[in-house]
Amino acid sequence: MSKVLRLDKKRLDEFVAALFSRYRLFGPVDSGGLMRFAEVESAGALRLDIANPDESAKGIFFPQTETLLTGNQGEVVPTQEPDRPIAVIGIRPCDARGLLMLDKVFGTGEHNDPYWTRRYRNALIVTMGCSTPRAGCFCNWLGSGPFSTEGSDIALTDIGDAILLEPRSEKGMDFLKGIPCEEASAADLRKAADIKERAESSMAGKVDVSSLKSALDRAWDSPLWDELTGKCLSCAACAYLCPTCHCFDIQDEKASGTNQCRRIRIWDSCMAPLFTKEASGHNPRPTGKERLRQRVMHKFNYFVDVYGEMACVGCGRCIRSCPVNLDIREVLVRFINAG
Amino acid sequence: MANVEQLLRDKVEELLKEKKVSCVIGHARGSTAFRSTPVFARSEADTDGLIFDITCGNNLAQYLRRCDRAQGDRVGIVAKGCDGRAVVQYVAEGQVKREDVLIIGVPCEGVLDHRKVRDRVQDRDVSRCRVDGETVVFEGKDFEVSMDRSDVLSDSCKRCRYPNPPVYDVFITEPVEAAPEKCGRQELEKFEELGASERWAFFEKEFAKCIRCYACRNACPMCYCEECFVDQSDPQWFGKSTDLSDTMLFHIVRALHTAGRCVECGACERACPLGINLSLLNQRVEREVRERFGYTPGLVPDQIPAMAAYNEEDKQEFIL
Amino acid sequence: MPGNCYVPISMTVDKIRTESDDRTLRTFDLSFRNKEQTFDYLPGQFCQLSILGRGEAPFGIASSPTEEGFLRFTVNRVGVVTTALHYLAQGETIGLRGPFGNHYPVEKFNGQNVLIVSGGFAFTTLRSLGVYMFAHRGDFADITVIYGARRPGLLLYCDELAEWEKRDDLHLHLTIDKDVAGWDKKVGFVPAVTEEVAPSPRNTWAVVCGPPVMIKYTLPVLLRLGFPPERIYTSLERRMKCGIGKCGRCNIGSKYVCTDGPVFSYAELQRLPEQF
Repeated sequence: MSKVLRLDKKRLDEFVAALFSRYRLFGPVDSGGLMRFAEVESAGALRLDIANPDESAKGIFFPQTETLLTGNQGEVVPTQEPDRPIAVIGIRPCDARGLLMLDKVFGTGEHNDPYWTRRYRNALIVTMGCSTPRAGCFCNWLGSGPFSTEGSDIALTDIGDAILLEPRSEKGMDFLKGIPCEEASAADLRKAADIKERAESSMAGKVDVSSLKSALDRAWDSPLWDELTGKCLSCAACAYLCPTCHCFDIQDEKASGTNQCRRIRIWDSCMAPLFTKEASGHNPRPTGKERLRQRVMHKFNYFVDVYGEMACVGCGRCIRSCPVNLDIREVLVRFINAG
Repeated sequence: MANVEQLLRDKVEELLKEKKVSCVIGHARGSTAFRSTPVFARSEADTDGLIFDITCGNNLAQYLRRCDRAQGDRVGIVAKGCDGRAVVQYVAEGQVKREDVLIIGVPCEGVLDHRKVRDRVQDRDVSRCRVDGETVVFEGKDFEVSMDRSDVLSDSCKRCRYPNPPVYDVFITEPVEAAPEKCGRQELEKFEELGASERWAFFEKEFAKCIRCYACRNACPMCYCEECFVDQSDPQWFGKSTDLSDTMLFHIVRALHTAGRCVECGACERACPLGINLSLLNQRVEREVRERFGYTPGLVPDQIPAMAAYNEEDKQEFIL
Repeated sequence: MPGNCYVPISMTVDKIRTESDDRTLRTFDLSFRNKEQTFDYLPGQFCQLSILGRGEAPFGIASSPTEEGFLRFTVNRVGVVTTALHYLAQGETIGLRGPFGNHYPVEKFNGQNVLIVSGGFAFTTLRSLGVYMFAHRGDFADITVIYGARRPGLLLYCDELAEWEKRDDLHLHLTIDKDVAGWDKKVGFVPAVTEEVAPSPRNTWAVVCGPPVMIKYTLPVLLRLGFPPERIYTSLERRMKCGIGKCGRCNIGSKYVCTDGPVFSYAELQRLPEQF
């Protein structure tokens, strides 16, 4: 690819200002103790040091609540999108990879989801490599790593007094043309390589998941499901914080006293008891066991059949956020070992 | 605490061996040293993993309602004060029969809020967590972080008036003394000094974070309705989106639905993946029920719940 | 917005007919408000009918593509959306998205015999298939239709069935669960009638659509009679929202009922995890 550039940390404001001048800019912020992605106008609000915000970046392109259509019976108007494209800075490799997977779901196949594609396909993704992976991170199990550049237009590495900028796409290269920067020196590159190596080796033991899919192929009736799902609360914390979970509901709402309606899309989760309940009352997944089995199978088995990879980026949010500490790593290892 | 754990394991092993119970719901070590996870011990071998310490924050009572068991089987539950209160309230609400539950009391001096710990240890891997008097120490590779117990405890534990299960069949060591002077209502009182618009602004800010994952509702032992009001579609009472008014209504109505039933365990707050301050609403409702009806849930198994009872003397100043 | 698969097409409600004696089933004939927006479809496909403000629900297309000028749907009133549909009056506008899903493999049936087995209001897409085959009658050999309901008042399209009975190029067997006065045709559950009158499996394809209990007991009958799983087709139902394979709701294993189905062969179903 193209040359790696070097930006003194003092010039970060300038870089962010350049992004802001061309894009609607999103990045990690501290929102009263809660770390999340939000729209920002300058570098001051950004917390590029946060290892990974509590919420994933998917909400920028696939919001929790999104109006698809408004109108009334006769006249239906799809929601428009502002002209300025989106840029995200400080998104970690796991979340960037998650966006790529969501793009497979929303942007490919016989039908295309325009609400997603018009945002994501025009976006500039500026990733930040993870110098200190967190407890619970397991991206290395899934063929990725703290400095992976999948899904990135410009990959940043913090080397202390400076930030290295690596363009990873045409879009990234185009943008960097507008930021006068020196090339990174050999010493800079060595420093970055060291940081990368230290980060990778700091991650807890990697597990070989290559046999997982076939283990799950045979695991439909395994008694492990009862054992592992007994404590699950069937909430949606894991699914909503997950960078690759994409299930949604479509709801119609009417403004009271008017005949103005809107059709909205909201996040939903296969873990919710009513997810598959039919109008007749029949529910093919009546208990938490069937639902957790569906979630695990979808992410680690069916997604492989349809899209060729596991729908998990190893960000660890589900592990940290689960109220009962149901650890997906344990689930995977148990099935791999059960063969 | 190590002593308590061993005694607990021995007792559970004994109960299972003597077939006094078919299963015991307890806690085991979670995926890091400061998390625990619910566990179901059905055989003597299962008892080795049982723990009880400051990390055991889940309210286990709800598993009683859906634990796999045959008719007439007794199920044991490792109960802190709040778990025990939830079980008592279940009996009062006809959800379980007293004789079907074997309550194993454990001495609880509060549980930690894992979000507070995560922030302080900066998400590094903690391999050991120990309590040293009023200090809690978190150790990992190349680091050690000490925190004051009061900084790490769940907020609900700082207000706790019932650290011991009000009713139990067996107690591991001795019940702890409640510390009335630390049962602070300060948070609520201080909050009420704010004006109405400031209070509203506070709740707007908190609930703007909500993503409607329902971890709070599902973690709550009292939220066991087959169909929750938010899930009803015919009629649809509230919208399911994160529009602020729909979200705030969900939390307000849930606080009202648990009026006279909330056992103040804090499981809802600890479950929230985004650290929303949920309990102020519940605290306010709890006080209302206590002052108006003289009722505190989860203390007496055959006491009719406040919202299921009627008394001629009930004040009605808000109607008349 | 061109190519926005979430935007419904405007349709006019041309005709409404109450099908069942208990008024739970109504049939709607819809036409495109804007003639430029018509589409092609094949028997077995479905559409999402949309009432903005109430919601959407999926319905199998009951008309055949050989019938011009209208799309027909039969709606069973069970919930919010179906109730709103039942309240529609002639001339009103509703929305429609589609056609979605795959179709009955009529190209495989060419030159061969076809057996249709159906129960209750699942008959909708089979009407589409039947009418399609009659319009291309020379393309198919023997056609047998076995259709049952709990009682006569719950059979769909009675007028048309009366016309079908008069055809000499069709074996039609109507049946009800329990005998009632005035009924001069078969009495018996669909699986039993199937066992009695099914044609030889040689060169025959079977399409089975009905309530889960009917399918559960009819499939073994067909297998016993010698129909191989690859030659038995059915149409599945699931709770749906987007209809286009994005919302993740209607999957059975790695197949989405809305895009890989709703038509599946029994052989395909045997390879999917059981989740009915």
